Amino acid sequence: MNTRKPRFYPGRSPRIANTRRGFLQLSAAALSGAVLSNCARNLADVSSEDSTSGSAAADGGTLNVYSWANYHDQELLDSFQAKTGIEVIVDTYDSNETMLAKMQAGGGSAYSIIYPSDYMVTQMIEFDMLTTLDKSRLVGLENLRSQWQDPVYDPGSAHSVAAVWGTTGFVYNPDNLGTTLTGWDYFWENGGSLNRQITLLNDVREVMGGVLHSLGYSYNSEDPAEIEEAYNRLVELKPAIANFITNGWEDQVSSGDVLVSMAFSVDALSLVAENPDIEYVIPETGSSLWTDAMVIPKSAPNPDAAYEWINFLLVPENAASSVERLRFATPNEVAYDQLSDELKADTKLFPPQDLLDRCEGIAPVSEEATELYDQYWTQLTST
Amino acid sequence: MSTSTPTPSVVPAKTSPGWQRKLSHLLGPLALLGPPGVWLLLLLVVPTLLILQLSFVPGIRPGQPMDGFGLGNYLNIFQPIYLQVIWRSVFFALGSTVLTLLLGFPVAYWIALMAPKRWQNLLLVGFILPLWTSSLLRAYAWITILRPTGVLNSFLSTLGLPTLDLLNRSGAVFIGMSYSFLPYMVLVLYASLEKLDRRLLEAAADLGASAPQTFWKVTVPQTLPGIAAGCLLVFIASLGDFVVPELLGGASSMTVSRLIYNQFLGATRNWGLGSSLSMVLILAVSISIALLIRYGDRDPESFS
Amino acid sequence: MYLPILILAFYSFNASRFSATWEGFSLRWYSTLFNDSRIFAALQDSLAVAICAVGVSAVLGTLMAVGLARYRFWGKGLYRGVSYLPLIIPDIAIAVATLVFLASFAIPLSLWTIVASHIVFCLAYVAVVVSTRLSGLNPHLEEAALDLGATPTQAFLKVLLPELMPAIVSGCLLAFVLSMDDLLISSFTAGGGANTLPMEIFSRVRTGVKPDINALSVVLILGSGVLAFVAEYIRYRGDQRRSV
Repeated sequence: MNTRKPRFYPGRSPRIANTRRGFLQLSAAALSGAVLSNCARNLADVSSEDSTSGSAAADGGTLNVYSWANYHDQELLDSFQAKTGIEVIVDTYDSNETMLAKMQAGGGSAYSIIYPSDYMVTQMIEFDMLTTLDKSRLVGLENLRSQWQDPVYDPGSAHSVAAVWGTTGFVYNPDNLGTTLTGWDYFWENGGSLNRQITLLNDVREVMGGVLHSLGYSYNSEDPAEIEEAYNRLVELKPAIANFITNGWEDQVSSGDVLVSMAFSVDALSLVAENPDIEYVIPETGSSLWTDAMVIPKSAPNPDAAYEWINFLLVPENAASSVERLRFATPNEVAYDQLSDELKADTKLFPPQDLLDRCEGIAPVSEEATELYDQYWTQLTST
Repeated sequence: MSTSTPTPSVVPAKTSPGWQRKLSHLLGPLALLGPPGVWLLLLLVVPTLLILQLSFVPGIRPGQPMDGFGLGNYLNIFQPIYLQVIWRSVFFALGSTVLTLLLGFPVAYWIALMAPKRWQNLLLVGFILPLWTSSLLRAYAWITILRPTGVLNSFLSTLGLPTLDLLNRSGAVFIGMSYSFLPYMVLVLYASLEKLDRRLLEAAADLGASAPQTFWKVTVPQTLPGIAAGCLLVFIASLGDFVVPELLGGASSMTVSRLIYNQFLGATRNWGLGSSLSMVLILAVSISIALLIRYGDRDPESFS
Repeated sequence: MYLPILILAFYSFNASRFSATWEGFSLRWYSTLFNDSRIFAALQDSLAVAICAVGVSAVLGTLMAVGLARYRFWGKGLYRGVSYLPLIIPDIAIAVATLVFLASFAIPLSLWTIVASHIVFCLAYVAVVVSTRLSGLNPHLEEAALDLGATPTQAFLKVLLPELMPAIVSGCLLAFVLSMDDLLISSFTAGGGANTLPMEIFSRVRTGVKPDINALSVVLILGSGVLAFVAEYIRYRGDQRRSV
């Protein structure tokens, strides 16, 4: 990224005025120039506001968390409140991009804790949206496995604390499908008979990346030809796709409205725990391997409570009991040791090493590639 | 807001000099029209101009360099894929308009001309009552009905009929939209039919016209302005509708409003494209309104 | 027209988690619903937004309607045109524009930004309804009051306002219902943890069909049904009194 260019978002460069002059001259709008130049400089600047000017400074007793579905249950929130007296309000999002859009649009000023995935952590650091964590206020970081103490997406864990990791796969009822599913290829082999019978995640990088990976390319391909090939495969699959949803397929798979749903392991395994007829499968060729980390945005109105929250979840007992109930893989080594043997042996939850080796993490791609992905995604969802 | 509520309590003295009287003449309009005007200017006019401006920055998204000015976004829209989306939105809107007209006209006709006078009001109110309920929930109700294992299919299979696969495709969108906007159509048509001069109908019958003839030659032309207004209302409402296609349309019915939503709060964050799509939408609606105003103005002359 | 609503109502008493199969009568979804603090928080936000927006709009909308009816000035056509815009422009376009505007001026989104943006369309609806009533009013009444020595304020408050009251009330009701039902504008302008009822319902409906939403529908439909009935009754009474 060329940081010398005037940037739309942090927008502190005085040179912005030059690039805008062309427009101002052309603009016939009966609007004062001050209004217009003001607007462009500050556009989407809301999210990077200092916490001092945050509107929600008054609610010292509440912590607003912006997270994925199924990461918390009432029991966890209650025990946190019992310990700290802080009331937690959790709002959920269904894709990293949605979360970023909301934060950039300024709608996320209430949140003190967010759970972006790995590549999004990197991107948010680049956008200067995250607080550098004060490590002296965090207890128990050493409990994390070494790979999460210094992750690629955030060297030295300077801005984030890994909370949950997992895979991406398919959920289906073998009785309804009539066969066992092993990976993406099934869809193209049986495309004709799957009329609007599958749902895919509402997630650009997961879906595009999943197909790229099944074609033998990288999740993080920046090669336009490869991306286009994946796009074309998906277009071919389009008639079979009922919807792009990240949550909400649970009922549809259970009732048989759809045959297969692409899902994150967390959501999938909590459904499997509820309904044993359902199966979760990680594609044989490997899937994405993701980490969702806790971060404190710069706009956080209540960073103190945020630190309390991170510390609370770093306590192995708390992490372990959440895993028992919510079925996500924890990066916390000590918490893992405290899990029941049954969970530890669950290969869907903690896949064997050889499968993990075939998986790949999603990393940020260049701005051009992001645009390309977005463009193909818009086209895919528009056809 | 109470501070901005003006109370023009200053009564101009009769001897006040000219400028003062002028001021007091201005005071009334300013007090009455100033605050709402400022509000509309700030939160409607300025924002619209802003997205107009933004629509000329190709592919702008929050977090990107703000350089370039051009028609890139608009040229983008002319890609077949987006034209298809626009065409689909228009198609949904037109289809729903026709459906509501076909369903709404008999109902309005019956309420206005055939139902007993004392029941008219009650029937009408009964018909538009669903408008008072949440549009989200009314669309949601159709999910329950149309899903593959839903109410409709359970019903059909108990009757031994083949099941229908309607959800997540165009059919569901048509059903949902027509259902949402039917009350508007009935309301407008009723207002128009009620004003219909019954003596004309009787005259036509006396002169030997058959019922269909009377209907097509007298009733329909007489109520044409009402039909046009009703159609336009439904067309505009369904063109900009987000809830129904989003909830019922699934993956294969992207419309302009869904696309705009995705550019701002969804996955792709292309504010430039989103802004230009908004402008296109506003333009489309303005054109249809302009057409109605021209059309509506001519109507009374040609039919009176 | 009522069939879908009735089906929702029917299945809200279903013991089964999945809508299609009937497994006996149960009130458990209603108890789930009434123990759901999120729903109530959202309802509270929605009511706060609707009441504030409608309250301000009632004043501003009436002023605007009276002003437009009374004065002639340069640019009046434009002013009137702009005042109709919120009724015409699709919600999504208004929502997007407002979001861009708020982001441009770095105004932090909160409950109050929702209120501000709702006022725009509430104002327009109130003004339209009041305008209609104004055009059918006898202009000489106010003149007579002025001739008899009332100040313009007195004439406005004592003569014009009571005449306009039914229109203001029905305009407000309309605006209230629209504000309570609005999803798009709220979604784009909400921040600071504000969450209106339609936003909450939308996110729940998207994450699956659950019977507690059926139960919620029934409660809401009953609520708005009562409101609608009262409104229509008032209107009906008003019509009758006038025609007598």
